[in-house]
Amino acid sequence: MIASGDPRHKSGQSSSKVGVGSSLFEVIQLEKSFGGIRALCGVSLRLEKEGIVSIIGPNGAGKTTFINVTTGMYFPDEGDVYFQGQNITGLPAHMVAHLGISRTFQLEELFSSMTVLENAMVGCHTGSRTGMFAAGFRLRSAREEENRTRGEALENLRMVGLEHRAADDVNSLPLGERKMLGIARSLGVKPNLIMLDEPASGLAAHEIAKLGDLVQKLVENRLAVIIVEHNMPFVMSISKRVIVLDYGRKIADGSPDDVRADPGVIKAYLGEED
Amino acid sequence: MKEDGRFKTNIPWLIFLTAIIVLPIIVRSNYIVSVMFFVAIYGMLSIGMGLLMGQAGLFSLAHPTWFGLGAYIPGILSARGIIPPLPGIFVGAICVALIAYIVGAPVLRLRGFYLACATFAIILIAQVVAAQLTNLTGGPEGLVGIPALSLGGFVFKTDLHFYYLSWAFCLGCYWFCSNLINSRIGCAMKSFHDSEVASQSIGVNVAKYKLQIFILTAVMASFAGSIFCFYLRFAVPDSFGFPLLVELLMMIIIGGVGHLRGPLTGTFVVLWLTELIHGYLGKIFPVMTSEVDAIFFGILIIIVLIFMPRGLTGWIDQLINLGRKLYDRFRGSTT
Repeated sequence: MIASGDPRHKSGQSSSKVGVGSSLFEVIQLEKSFGGIRALCGVSLRLEKEGIVSIIGPNGAGKTTFINVTTGMYFPDEGDVYFQGQNITGLPAHMVAHLGISRTFQLEELFSSMTVLENAMVGCHTGSRTGMFAAGFRLRSAREEENRTRGEALENLRMVGLEHRAADDVNSLPLGERKMLGIARSLGVKPNLIMLDEPASGLAAHEIAKLGDLVQKLVENRLAVIIVEHNMPFVMSISKRVIVLDYGRKIADGSPDDVRADPGVIKAYLGEED
Repeated sequence: MKEDGRFKTNIPWLIFLTAIIVLPIIVRSNYIVSVMFFVAIYGMLSIGMGLLMGQAGLFSLAHPTWFGLGAYIPGILSARGIIPPLPGIFVGAICVALIAYIVGAPVLRLRGFYLACATFAIILIAQVVAAQLTNLTGGPEGLVGIPALSLGGFVFKTDLHFYYLSWAFCLGCYWFCSNLINSRIGCAMKSFHDSEVASQSIGVNVAKYKLQIFILTAVMASFAGSIFCFYLRFAVPDSFGFPLLVELLMMIIIGGVGHLRGPLTGTFVVLWLTELIHGYLGKIFPVMTSEVDAIFFGILIIIVLIFMPRGLTGWIDQLINLGRKLYDRFRGSTT
C-alpha cells in the first residue's frame, strides 16, 4: 500500500493539472477509506474523449467505490475529480448529474412504485424546469414540458429496446430488462459520460450480446462509457482500454491484450506463481 | 402523468363535487353539515400527511403544530385588532411556511423513525409554549375574543358558510396535490421514496424537494387551522396536541396512503364512526364514550392493518380489479 506521504501523490497532482482543460474526465490520486479499509488508494485515470473504458478487478478491489466517489455519492478523502475542465470533487450527486455524468447501479435501484415509462421520465428530471406551483396548478408550461419529457423518455426506451414495455409495472421486468431500463433512465440526464456498474452480471448470453450492441451505439452517439464488470469475455471483447484495480490500487492500464499478459494482473487474479 | 388537459373530464370527481355542493341543500341538517365541515378541515390535514408519508416517504408528525400555528397566529392578530381575520389567514400561512422552513431545513436531514421522533418533539414543544405564553395565547384557558371572519361585506356566521369555505379550501388542496403527484415533482418525490441514491444519480435534488413538500403540507394545515379557529372563535393548546396526531394517523391508516383519496376517505370514515359511536353508545355508556372510542378504533386499526394493509381505498381498488378480471374472463368464455 502507498503511504499518504508518497511522493507520487504531489507530483501526480501538479503535473496533471496542466492538461486538465483538454480531457473529458480526469481523476487524480483518489483516496477513500472506510474505517481501516482503504477502498481506493491513489487511483488516477484520464479519459480524453468518448470511448469505452472498462474497470475490472477482484471482489472488493474498489471498483464500485470508484464510481461512488467520482459521482458524488461519497466524499473522497483526498484527490481531485475533473469533468470537462471543471473540478467536481465533492459536489453532491445531483449536481454531478446536472453536469453530465450519469451512472447505473449494480442492483439496478429502479423506482419500484412506478411504470417503466415513468422510470425513464424521472430520468429526464434535469432537462425540465417545472416548479411546484406550475405543477400543482397544472399550467400550460407544465403540460407542454411533460409531453416533451414523455417523448424523450420514450426515445431513451427505444434506444435500449424497451419501448414495448413502457406501460408495464417495473416489478414485472426480468433482470435483463431491468438492467436495460437502468441504462435508459440514466440516459435521461443527457450525459457525456456514463458509468455502468456491473451491467452484464446475471445476464444470459444473448442479453450480453444486446448489451454490447447498446454500448457500441452509445459510443457512436459520442458518449464516454466506463464499465465496471466481472465478466471477462464481455470486457475484453468490448473495450479498447482496460484498467485493473486490486486492493484499491491501479495495477494495470492498457489494451486488453496487454492487461491479459501483465504479470501483476495474473498475480492478483490467480495468486503468486511459485 | 396520464391525461393531457388541465381539467380532464373525470366523472367520479364531478359526482363528488356535485354531492358536496348539493348535500346541505338536500339534507338541511345543521348537524350533518357541521360534521362534514370537520371532515373537510381534518381532510386538509390528512391529505397533507398522506402526501408526506405515502408519496415522499417522510415520516413527519408535526402536523398538529402547523394546524395550531395556523389557528393561533391569525387568532391572536385579529383578537388584538392588529390584522383583520381574512388577511390574517394568509399572514398566518406565510409565518407557518417560514417556521416550517427553519424547522425543516435541519430536521429533514433525519430519516425514518428519527424524523418521527424529532417532529414529535415539535408538537410537545409547541403545546407547552402555547400553554405557557399566557399573555399572548391566553394559556391553557384558551384564546378568546376572536372576531368573525368576513370577506368584503359578507360575514361567515353559520355552519353552512363555513361548510362551503372549508370544502373550497379542502378540494383546492386536493386538486393541487393530485396535480403535483402526477407531475415531474411528484415523480421525483416517489423516486426518492423508492431509492434515494438512484434519485440523486439522475439529478433530483432530494433535500430541496423534501423541504418544499414539507412546507407545502404545513401551509395546507395552517389554512385548516385558521378556518377551524374562526369557526370556533376560540383556541386551546389541547386541540393541537397528541390526540389530534393519533386521530390523523388513524385516518391515514384506515383510508390508505397509496392515493390521495385514501386520507380523505379515512377522515370521512373516522369522523362519522366517532359520531355514530357517540350517538348510539352515548345512551348506553354515558360516561365512557371516549374509552369506547379508543377501544373501537384500536380494534378497527388492527383489523385494517391485517386484512387491508393498503387501507380501505387500496382494498376497494383491489376488489374492483378482481371484479374486472372476473368479468373479462366471463366474457372471454362466452364469446
